[in-house]
Amino acid sequence: MVIKSYLAHAVKGKKQELLEALNKLNQCQVTSAENEDIIVLVTDTSDDNEDEILKEKIESILSLKMLSLVSGFNTSTLK
Amino acid sequence: MKKRLGIISFFVIIFIAFIIVWNYSYEQGLEDAYIPMIEKPKGSFIPSESVVFKRFNSDKVDYANMPIDENYQRMLVNYYTNRAYPGAPPSIPHPIKNERSVGGNTCNKCHENGGFVEKFDTYAPVTPHAEKSNCRQCHVTKNTRETFKAFAFDKKQAPKVGKGTNNALLGSPPMIPHQLQLRENCIACHAGPSAPKEIRVSHPQRTNCRQCHLPKNNRSTQQIDASKFIRKFDDLNER
Amino acid sequence: MYKSISGRRDFIRKMAMLSAMTAAATMFPGILFAKEQEDGIPKDANLDWKKGPCRFCGVGCGILVGTENGKAVAVKGDPNSSVNRGLLCVKGYHQIMCIQSKDRLQHALVKKNGRYVKTPMHEALDIVANKMKGTIKEHGKDAVAMFTSGQSTIPEGYIASKLMKGAIGTNNLDCNARLCMASAVTGFLTTFGADEPMGCYEDIDHADYFITWGNNMAEMHPVLFSRMLEQKSRRGAKIIDFATRTTRSSTASDKSILFEPQTDLAVANAICYEIIKNGWVNKSFVKKHCNFSKGLTNMGYGLEDNYKFKDIPEKINFDEYKEFLKDYSPEKVSKYSKVSVKDIKYLAAIYGNPNTKVVSYWCMGMNQHTRGTWMNNLVYNIHLLTGKISQPGNGPFSLTGQPSACGTAREVGTFTHKLPHGVVMNKKDREMAAKIWKVPYDRIPAKPTYHATEMFRAVDRGEIKFIWTQATNPMVSLPKTGRYRPAMQKESCFVVVSDVFPTPTSDVADVILPAAWHIEKSGMYGNSERRTQHWDKMVEAPGEATEDAWMFIEVARRMGYGDLFPYCKENHVEEIYNEYRKFHAGKKHNMAPLEVLKKQSGAIWPYVNGKSTQWRFNAKYDPACTNGESFHFYGKKDGKAVIWQRPFEEAPEKPDQEYPFWLNTGRVIEHWHTGSMTRRIPVLHQAVPNAYVEFHPDDAKKLGVRNGEKIKVTSRRGSCTLPASINERGLPTKGQVFVPFFDENMLINDVTLDAFCPISKEPDYKKCAVKVEKA
Repeated sequence: MVIKSYLAHAVKGKKQELLEALNKLNQCQVTSAENEDIIVLVTDTSDDNEDEILKEKIESILSLKMLSLVSGFNTSTLK
Repeated sequence: MKKRLGIISFFVIIFIAFIIVWNYSYEQGLEDAYIPMIEKPKGSFIPSESVVFKRFNSDKVDYANMPIDENYQRMLVNYYTNRAYPGAPPSIPHPIKNERSVGGNTCNKCHENGGFVEKFDTYAPVTPHAEKSNCRQCHVTKNTRETFKAFAFDKKQAPKVGKGTNNALLGSPPMIPHQLQLRENCIACHAGPSAPKEIRVSHPQRTNCRQCHLPKNNRSTQQIDASKFIRKFDDLNER
Repeated sequence: MYKSISGRRDFIRKMAMLSAMTAAATMFPGILFAKEQEDGIPKDANLDWKKGPCRFCGVGCGILVGTENGKAVAVKGDPNSSVNRGLLCVKGYHQIMCIQSKDRLQHALVKKNGRYVKTPMHEALDIVANKMKGTIKEHGKDAVAMFTSGQSTIPEGYIASKLMKGAIGTNNLDCNARLCMASAVTGFLTTFGADEPMGCYEDIDHADYFITWGNNMAEMHPVLFSRMLEQKSRRGAKIIDFATRTTRSSTASDKSILFEPQTDLAVANAICYEIIKNGWVNKSFVKKHCNFSKGLTNMGYGLEDNYKFKDIPEKINFDEYKEFLKDYSPEKVSKYSKVSVKDIKYLAAIYGNPNTKVVSYWCMGMNQHTRGTWMNNLVYNIHLLTGKISQPGNGPFSLTGQPSACGTAREVGTFTHKLPHGVVMNKKDREMAAKIWKVPYDRIPAKPTYHATEMFRAVDRGEIKFIWTQATNPMVSLPKTGRYRPAMQKESCFVVVSDVFPTPTSDVADVILPAAWHIEKSGMYGNSERRTQHWDKMVEAPGEATEDAWMFIEVARRMGYGDLFPYCKENHVEEIYNEYRKFHAGKKHNMAPLEVLKKQSGAIWPYVNGKSTQWRFNAKYDPACTNGESFHFYGKKDGKAVIWQRPFEEAPEKPDQEYPFWLNTGRVIEHWHTGSMTRRIPVLHQAVPNAYVEFHPDDAKKLGVRNGEKIKVTSRRGSCTLPASINERGLPTKGQVFVPFFDENMLINDVTLDAFCPISKEPDYKKCAVKVEKA
């Protein structure tokens, strides 16, 4: 399973749209910051392929300015 | 003869004209030059409401980005050792500059906005009532450790603080366990480097404290029979 | 010890989240993720958190209620709600404490021989249904009436409307929102043809100036005011308070401008005059998108019974409007409004500056006004003349007082003249309602009957013989209660009251039905910014207390309309909502489906193609705009908004020799309306235990009144004795007193006047003449 955490920077003033769009995606868990245009995003997928697909879906969201990876765990390479 | 009549009637006409014009301008002049305006409140009005908002927009202190200095932070214990009982005016623990002054700017230089004082190696506590300039009326120095005769003043317990002690419900905003009088400006004691560690708030930039926090023991003065009333009519509302 | 997490996956997710938060904190010091509220709860408390909207004001904050063992024990703000972002106010934080009150109504009570007898619920509902049937048979359909609330949920309002208009066939349905938002509604309809604000709360994040017209936002819409204060410290936005007394909001604002009551009409016109004189009019906007009209003047004040008024609009042009405004130059207006010329020009300059974004906020100061509709029109005039409307941070915003006055009263239409879509007077709207409700078309009556004040006058005259009130307390909240309380006590009228707690209204009832409180039922509320929010039932109601919507359905079934109400008890809320949605289908008003409401913290309508329309009438944001221009006011047939010529007219009762003070009434942050809920919350009651009368210190000194002394406030209608309050919560101007109305034992509404705005029929609680003396 692949679990990654990102900081999603929203286009100025579009944080609400970004939040709604990310909420719609099933494999995403979001926590929004109160006083900045930042959203913490944790994605949870079962393998690398799904992770790629999900990442592309996220990057196609118009209200996303930048997505920065903070940490990643890939247990499919272990065991 | 005719000439004389002519001159007299001429002057009579001028005189009448003069009276008419004079009366007209008098009537015009009587029109109200003064337009009644609603007086803006002056002095100290509704202190329990207005003083809460002081200091947030000051450019000298930035509460949103206040750093926390662990080495020099105060504890509630130190806070209360200066006071005879919770709610008493603290005594002055340091030597003063000008023995003859009432306080005013001498004290407010450090205590209006706080800050680190090299001379005493500590952060100056911020006063919640900086507009009161006769500081020495209530705050006195400590010049000796001895007592005149033995005494048995029972020091009242300070109100407890900490998670869960003052909340009405689990996780609800803690209530105010102290009186508001002279302490309406919450941010002065609850944020900043001189705030005692236990009462430092996690959200100093929120400004409108009274939106969520209510006084705990608000004994209303309104049910008291006025004839036995103690508090004098408020003379602070000067014109 | 950490809370046990299920499995490794959860643990890794939590670690990932924490590392991201730490990274964010290093880049943006001071960033907040609303975590500190979780810290206040002991780690081993296994609380179940469910989301919903708050029970109180029209801001509509998202709350999370923590339940443990079937009891609600904690509340926190919902950090995912864009309305409040995790913050609440003192009422919101402690709201669940009221249901622990010992005098909570748990059983139905029926009055027998002057005493209330506990009756099993099904029997009480039988009595209600039979009485209603009998009254209709004997005296006709229009002898029964229902008075609901802007705090009723959407399903409750919908069922009430369907029962009265669709099943029984009478328009005797009105609600307490008539007493708070009717002027705002008629303001919207006359100016735009469509109800409800065109902006949303996101305006706060963009505006440069906030101008509040006669409302005390720091106490009445505190969470929105905190957002405004945040913008003030972050971006240097300015807050201007324009009111008749000095309040908490005035002290927090950048500038406080005081005016003489009723003269807000004149000052608004003076601002329009300045805008036109200085050439600040947005000429292209006005030419393309606005028409000019005037209506009747000297309309009276509705003081007589059976007062009828219908406005006759007349089209005018810009030059005639300009000519009319000549009487409203700042110099002339300053004389009687007591606002300085400098302040009027200052306000006009703020609106006139094309580079500043201005949001105007108002609530009861402008709505509870004998010319409330006119006042709403005038503020819209200012925004239309300058073209500052329907843009982010730029526009007028009419705040709602009650949590669902928008969602239930205005959108479902629990008014005498309204249907869920449209009005009863319109043939097409009646046909649509008949189709969806599956009733014969001619059953829905075409003529509106009684508005709120007239409804209770009809009870007094004996025309209404059966009245059912729900989630409201008219015996404390109506104006001139001295007339309406004995009216309700009359033998000629059978009174049924559905409420959670005993109140002065239930004291005059013949049948009292115990209702379930907020979290004891599921439902939806609609807040000021057109956001519909849903919540699920979280705890069980005690005793026999039942959901109001279900009680309406049970009575309807007993009256023989079972086939119109085929809902099942477990799922009736969902079924009702899905039926209700059909009324609003279309780009202009589509309501979000229930799945969307369940997943996120509400959705703003119109909800089109999965997106909420945040700014209406602006083609950039609103898909319902079809005329190809940048603005389309599609409420009106020609797509243009109307700038109304409205003059200044005096208040019906002004201070004079005998009654020298203005009486103003309102609220405080700690108490909600008539206090039936908030006074039963110990925290709030102890903060403000009783009502009081506020004086200016100079007036107090002249009368020799000291703080706390008992004062008798008398008007031509009644009197009320209260302790004096000087320089404490609020500071009225000289010659004015203020009384909060939450105290049922100090009933200030015995003193107020039941004059109303002739167009909206909303009473004016803010102005009447009283005399004060020591009791």
